[in-house]
Amino acid sequence: MSGALQALRQSAIDWRLVLMGAVLVGIALVFNVLSGGIFLSPENLYNIAQQTAVVGIVATVVVLIIVARHIDLSVGSVMGFVGVLIAFLMYTGGWSWPAAALAGLAVAIAVSMYQGALTAVLGVPSFVVTLGGLMSFRGAAFLVADGKTQPVNDEFFQRLGGGYDGAIGVTASWVLAGLVCVAMAAATLLRRQRQQRFGVLSNPLWLDLGVLAVPVVIVLGFTAAMNGYQIPNKDAPQGIPIPVLIWAAVAITLSFIVHRTRFGRYVFAMGGNPDAAALVGIPVRRVTLMLFVLLGVLITIAAVVSIARLNAGTNSLGTGMELYVIAAAVIGGTALAGGSGSILGSVLGALIMQSLDSGMLLLDVSIGKRMVIIGQVLIAAVVFDVLYRRWTGERS
Amino acid sequence: MDWGKKLMAEPLVALRGIHKAFGGVHAVEDVSVYLHPGEVVALLGHNGAGKSTLMKMLAGAYPIDSGEIRIRGEKVQIRSPADSQALGIETIYQTLALADNLDAVANLFLGRELLTPWRTLDDLRMDAEARKVFARLNKNFKNVRVPVRRLSGGQRQTVAISRALYFNARILIMDEPCAALGPEETRMVGELIKQLKAEGVGIFLISHDMPDVFGLSDRLAVMKNGKLVGTYRTADVNEDEVLGMIILGKRPEGKAQFDRVGG
Repeated sequence: MSGALQALRQSAIDWRLVLMGAVLVGIALVFNVLSGGIFLSPENLYNIAQQTAVVGIVATVVVLIIVARHIDLSVGSVMGFVGVLIAFLMYTGGWSWPAAALAGLAVAIAVSMYQGALTAVLGVPSFVVTLGGLMSFRGAAFLVADGKTQPVNDEFFQRLGGGYDGAIGVTASWVLAGLVCVAMAAATLLRRQRQQRFGVLSNPLWLDLGVLAVPVVIVLGFTAAMNGYQIPNKDAPQGIPIPVLIWAAVAITLSFIVHRTRFGRYVFAMGGNPDAAALVGIPVRRVTLMLFVLLGVLITIAAVVSIARLNAGTNSLGTGMELYVIAAAVIGGTALAGGSGSILGSVLGALIMQSLDSGMLLLDVSIGKRMVIIGQVLIAAVVFDVLYRRWTGERS
Repeated sequence: MDWGKKLMAEPLVALRGIHKAFGGVHAVEDVSVYLHPGEVVALLGHNGAGKSTLMKMLAGAYPIDSGEIRIRGEKVQIRSPADSQALGIETIYQTLALADNLDAVANLFLGRELLTPWRTLDDLRMDAEARKVFARLNKNFKNVRVPVRRLSGGQRQTVAISRALYFNARILIMDEPCAALGPEETRMVGELIKQLKAEGVGIFLISHDMPDVFGLSDRLAVMKNGKLVGTYRTADVNEDEVLGMIILGKRPEGKAQFDRVGG
């Protein structure tokens, strides 16, 4: 038994993430009881999942921005600007959606390069640069179409945002879920083989299997829930919504970047100790600039999902999103002082935020009270963060 | 030591007429120092005397304003830490230059990660290689996968020194390597310096600790207010004379300078 405890302690399990997961489950159960079983119904879970996707997509990369000791307050405004631009090009300009989306991507990257260069090359604090951007790009979003709402009518494009036709159906959902589970099992097996070859096997088999079981159960459970939701006038259940798939792909890609590439390692090193990063020869400016370009790419993806979901680009698109995104990152365990944070944490953080919001909406809590509560939850998360780091000796 | 032979050899490092100013302040003014293979040159001086700045220019952390750097007789331009590393120069900073949030393995390879054929991080190979290097320095160092902030001073120092060992430093800059260490670990660093010397590595040692300087260095160079006071064979001077140079900038009377091996 003490051997098992020892193995648990030595394993690289992030207990903080486990705790966040438990908080999310707790929130869901409480709301489920209070709402008389509505909260955990397939319909509500489906809506929460697709509503969280836009904030979730941007939060994954904002985690890295904060890890590198920067901040971006302009994400909501830039997303609004790019979103309206894409909708404008499609509706008023008559462009095809891929052409419009690529143009949006180019503009988003240009904006990110501009803000990133001011930060990385000139050393202007990103807080100031993006505070200006928060204002400027909201204005730019207005200027694109002179404040007029731009409808989005392309049927294929609309599916990217979820909604009525925006899910992949029962069969495809199960196939995909099965493939993901097999891939995760294979990854665990391959890692154990390689560890054995190098003689650095760390976890006992039962622990690796346990760690593998958690995501497998979540994936299968989530798929079952999505396949359990049928819109009344349709003849088949929905399956997994497309925006959730996009979000998952983004989160997996960014996790890969963080754990498996030099770029990801350098972002964390720069956040942990910027002086050391420079002294050991990390190209700090180039990495910072690349990070902002990555942000631009993901803002474009979020903008596409967002206008597809609303079926329109409006100049108010993404207003206030920066707060939700930063809150998701912080609730997910990203330290505002930099150097620590995780992509999976941001996924949990975004889900916690959205679950609280949706849950209170189900219970008819007024908008004013909801805002008060969500704001205080963010503060509670930061207080927890400070106490947790003090307790684990990370900060004195 | 065979001084005659060394005299003939080209110095490993030649810093000639180096200048560096920050704003209007002359941090380093017309300093020339030489280092030979298998030699330890101690750099001494008060805080702010310019010794760390001089070494940071060799390490690529600051560009030089004027003067020249020659490595094995060849004139080189060191514009970045990567340039310096490519010349076989490794630096152990007083601050250790560790990213506290990363583990010991990641820190050892920071900036020079081992990659798989798919250009992704080869974590397991780095892990295995790192354990070998750490074991050479400290047999009891096993918790190499926790953030280095959780390690002891000696273990952190081990990580910093391991960089120099793993990447085969030919020229080593050590800035106060024993400042954070206990007696046992200080002894270990002393042993290591002797071992590297025997392998022909040239070492610049910045230290405030007189027993270290007299125990480990072959020559010593004293700086004051950015200028070089003098360079002497360690065996030729005593502690009082060295302190006189550091504090007053006064050269000891009747002692010959040896700014290179042999003169």
